[in-house]
Amino acid sequence: MNRRRQAATAWLFLSPAVIFFVLLFFLPIGNQLLTGLYDADGVNFVGLDNFTRALGDPEVVHSFLITLGYAAGTLVVGTAVGLGLAVILNQAIPGRTLFRSVLLIPYLTSVSIIGLLWRNILDPQVGILNRLLDQFGLPGQTWLSTHPLATIVGITVWSSAGYTMVLFLAGLQGIPGLYYEAARIDGAGPWRRFFSITLPLLTPTTLFVSIIGLISTLQQFALPYIVTGGGPGNATSLYAHRLFLVAFNDNDFGYASALSVLLLLVVLVLSLVQLKIGDRADAAH
Amino acid sequence: MPPTSSLLRDSSIDRDRLFPGDRLAAYALLVILALVTVVPLLYMIVLALQSDAEVLSGDPVLWPADPQWGNFTRLFDAAPFGRFFLNSFVMAGAITIAHLVFDPLIGYVFAKMEFPGKRIAFVAVLSTLMVPFFVRMLPIYAIFSNLGWIDSYQGLIVPFLMDAYGIFLMRQFIRPLPNELIEAARVDGASEFGIYLRVILPQLKPALAVLSLFTFVFQWNEFLWPLIATSRTEMRTLPIGLTLFNQEYFTQWNLTAAGALILFLPTALFFVITQKFLVEGITLSGLK
Repeated sequence: MNRRRQAATAWLFLSPAVIFFVLLFFLPIGNQLLTGLYDADGVNFVGLDNFTRALGDPEVVHSFLITLGYAAGTLVVGTAVGLGLAVILNQAIPGRTLFRSVLLIPYLTSVSIIGLLWRNILDPQVGILNRLLDQFGLPGQTWLSTHPLATIVGITVWSSAGYTMVLFLAGLQGIPGLYYEAARIDGAGPWRRFFSITLPLLTPTTLFVSIIGLISTLQQFALPYIVTGGGPGNATSLYAHRLFLVAFNDNDFGYASALSVLLLLVVLVLSLVQLKIGDRADAAH
Repeated sequence: MPPTSSLLRDSSIDRDRLFPGDRLAAYALLVILALVTVVPLLYMIVLALQSDAEVLSGDPVLWPADPQWGNFTRLFDAAPFGRFFLNSFVMAGAITIAHLVFDPLIGYVFAKMEFPGKRIAFVAVLSTLMVPFFVRMLPIYAIFSNLGWIDSYQGLIVPFLMDAYGIFLMRQFIRPLPNELIEAARVDGASEFGIYLRVILPQLKPALAVLSLFTFVFQWNEFLWPLIATSRTEMRTLPIGLTLFNQEYFTQWNLTAAGALILFLPTALFFVITQKFLVEGITLSGLK
């Protein structure tokens, strides 16, 4: 079979993908880059006005800052919990497969279920959590009105800890057991082994987990949308929620496109950093 | 510490055994965290079986006095849940079938065929992984509005017909298959598509099972696009219908929980079927 025929066959097989990715990825992205340069009606060219407007828009700046806070909280707590779970479940503990699977259930569960479930559990009137606290003589909390963002962070960690754990488990299994044997012989205790072997050798995994976590928290929409609707006030109106409101409440597609292009730029930079880290990790092995 | 002294203490090699307390503490922590994970989901069952009076009362209900199994049927009278379920099923099912048709074929091309432009095409496909859904959502919404595809099945399905994850996953499974298989089939006079269909595809059964289960569950749970692409009640999917129902009938948490359990059903099934491959499956699709 000659090369030209093979190339023709390959492109024939690829044609559904070419059509799909061009029509539903590359043209829309190009369209976003252009629409961001137009006004709300998409008629008048306004140059970079939408972008400069975003930088001076208190609601957008607010949404970006709380998204950073949400991301930081989720990353710090989520990484610690996921790593802890992975370290424990990397040992020969009976039932470890079952534990690993059970901890993954929330990750596979619809955000509708997670959002509604926690809204019910945390409800000051009908919620079971305050009723349980009351049974133990502890004061109830108005979780979602006093600490809305921290509560959203908590729910996010609850739902993603299992996934983070799996990524760390994969990283842990790449560490040669020999290192631990040697450290044991040298008399290093469990904590010393963790800080001198596990943690440094997990650096590429930790960076990977942090960056994909950051990318997904920057795009978080559904959870606060369901649990708080962005409130109280706009305390949990994250960047993606603001973008959604600009597009579908204000019907300002030009401005919304500019906001989505800014999101694309941030995610792109983070993805490239992640690729670099991946390359370096590959080179180290 | 000099190595000799630690070697003399024979047990230091298996030091963990000296501290059963540590292991016990780790185990206790694990049980607590697993309970924190599972108990809220189990509570959903308690909530779904409560009577209206129990839901509204101020007392904690650990198990309803008279489990209201009728809540599951009442739900279908209160909102068109049958239709929501059907819509979700059609959407997730069609997208899963599309992935099974396209992902392995495209993956095969990238794994085993040589042709000019291959590298650029592959990088282009992979680069789509970096694009937040929000970036393509607005233009697709605008185009679909013009096409009259809002509130339609094709509108729900078309943006997700294939994706770079699925293609990459299939490529990873196909690459290790021996080239001799393909060469032998070619010598026997099989067509290129025949080779793919009869030689490659049968080797991929476990991979296709993992791909279809993951695709189905994630599309079944999808929230953002169905929220935007539908506005008529009868075109809502289950995740959207459930949250809207909850906003409309705020106090009926028992019915909301019953609906949540119905929404959870495919996930539970998926879980039972894939428990063994779950961790590996996520590692493969998540890390690569």
